[in-house]
Amino acid sequence: MTSSLPGPAGPAAGADGHAGEDLLAGYAAGTLQTIEVWSVEAHLTGCAGCRSALSAQVDTERLARNRSVLLARAALGDGGRARRLLGRCGLPEHLLRLLGATPSLRRSWLLSVLGVLAVVAGEAAAVKYGWIPGGGPGRLAGYRDPAVVAPFLLLAPLLVLAGVAAAFLPMFDPAYRLAVAAPFSGFTLLLVRTLSALTAALVPVIAAAFLLPGPGWLPVALLLPSLALCAFALAAATVMGPRAAAVTAGVLWAVPVLLLATTHGPLPIVQRNAQFACAAVLCASAVVLLARRDRFEWGWMR
Amino acid sequence: MDEMTLNVTAVAVRADGLSRRYGATRALDEVGLNLERGITGLLGPNGAGKTTLLSILATVSEPDAGRVSVFGLDPRDGAERVEIRRRLGYLPQDLGYHRHFTVAAFLDYVAILKEITGRRDRAEEVARVLAAIGLEDRARTRIRALSGGMRQRLGIAQALLGRPDLLILDEPTAGLDPEQRLRFRELLSDLPGNPVIVLSTHQADDIAAICPQVIVLLQGRVHFAGTPAGLAATAAGRVWAANERDARAHLSWRGADNRWRHVGDRPPDDAELVPPTVEDGYLLLSHAAGAR
Repeated sequence: MTSSLPGPAGPAAGADGHAGEDLLAGYAAGTLQTIEVWSVEAHLTGCAGCRSALSAQVDTERLARNRSVLLARAALGDGGRARRLLGRCGLPEHLLRLLGATPSLRRSWLLSVLGVLAVVAGEAAAVKYGWIPGGGPGRLAGYRDPAVVAPFLLLAPLLVLAGVAAAFLPMFDPAYRLAVAAPFSGFTLLLVRTLSALTAALVPVIAAAFLLPGPGWLPVALLLPSLALCAFALAAATVMGPRAAAVTAGVLWAVPVLLLATTHGPLPIVQRNAQFACAAVLCASAVVLLARRDRFEWGWMR
Repeated sequence: MDEMTLNVTAVAVRADGLSRRYGATRALDEVGLNLERGITGLLGPNGAGKTTLLSILATVSEPDAGRVSVFGLDPRDGAERVEIRRRLGYLPQDLGYHRHFTVAAFLDYVAILKEITGRRDRAEEVARVLAAIGLEDRARTRIRALSGGMRQRLGIAQALLGRPDLLILDEPTAGLDPEQRLRFRELLSDLPGNPVIVLSTHQADDIAAICPQVIVLLQGRVHFAGTPAGLAATAAGRVWAANERDARAHLSWRGADNRWRHVGDRPPDDAELVPPTVEDGYLLLSHAAGAR
């Protein structure tokens, strides 16, 4: 079968009605007009000679490169529904990628879930066997036994802190030295990781707060102390080492809370005055963190 | 650019009086060096301070004393440190991996840290380095399923992301089989743009094969800096081949030809002088340093 190829306007067709070298080269490089492409394709389907002549025109190196890029893109995927949704909200794709790749995400999630399970199970056992006496100085009308929630109030913000610490402590990142040697802003990386760990850890903690006996506002009341504790740990990490900062934050939470719980019962830990104190700590820590962010920005290991 | 600036930039990386201690151990003791474009080999036994030196050059650790200049930039300045990192590829020793990552996802993650933010650009970079080290068909494999040699190649691949101008490779050939080592040498020699490459090794044959420049680091001090031929020449007149073992030699071993090779100051009986190799020079240097 021979087909007629474009006339005077296009690149020259072969004298015998086959596609000329110029035409095939243009087709391989993708520079032909649409009408010429159709003609060449129509001819190629019936002409083995021109098909083999075409394969000589193909840039094999470019083809191999394209193949590797396609393989890499297929291997990377588009990150699933959650990431697509957040992407539509205008968040940069590479930050979402980092958020998803934050290796501590799963760990802090697991840590919080296990911690919450342990606390809840412990409390259930304590109530069942009567280890926690009902009624106390902090007893409120309408709640049968506020002392039951005491361990949870003490530990929930610590669990969130542990999850966040897992996200920013170098010892939990096997490729930490790569992150230090890379130009990407260390402060941005810290915020991305903290955010993902915070979300992962807060979800089980808040969920558990709904299930526990206690006032209905309990889950919300846990937010501010948790955030304040994490912000304090990050701010302290600009002054001392990150590990020392996490431990200090934990101790500074546990000591006054234990004192308060033994003298006034558990609920004041999350009631109004405590919330104000937590808000103050959160604001002060944020200011310190911003002012001293260079410590993360240009990180340097000792 | 005036002539003086040109002279200054001929040396790409410069270090003066670098010292670093870890507790009572003196890892680096007043180390000075100049690196030019091309490959420089850092040779030394385990514990000589190679890793400490490379991590300081890679702006990861801070020296206790001394100065570093990379392309005229000072890593003590925060902004200049970031500028150095933009031009850097670094393979740390015993690089850890997030084991549940796939090969492609890990490279993508490092590419983001290297500020390659465009999605298409990243995919192209990842594909390019995967092809360069021959792991294209492993893009979807999880890192925990890779063999040791493959992991080492993945480490080299991430260092190549972003076409760095300064490539710092800490023991890049560790865990590679002989064929992979040849491919690695070929890859380094063929890198376009003539980057500054410094690699550490304790294998003298890596140095002899690809490094025009060699630095011998022993007990935290530079004991030799020059060409491999120069290092071999330090052993000239002190390497002999003989049929018998000689107790007076510093080092003796039986070679493939079943004759004894002696490195020492005096010839054994009925010995013949042989031309020294890079390894002979290195062995003599480390022997002298150990005896001190």
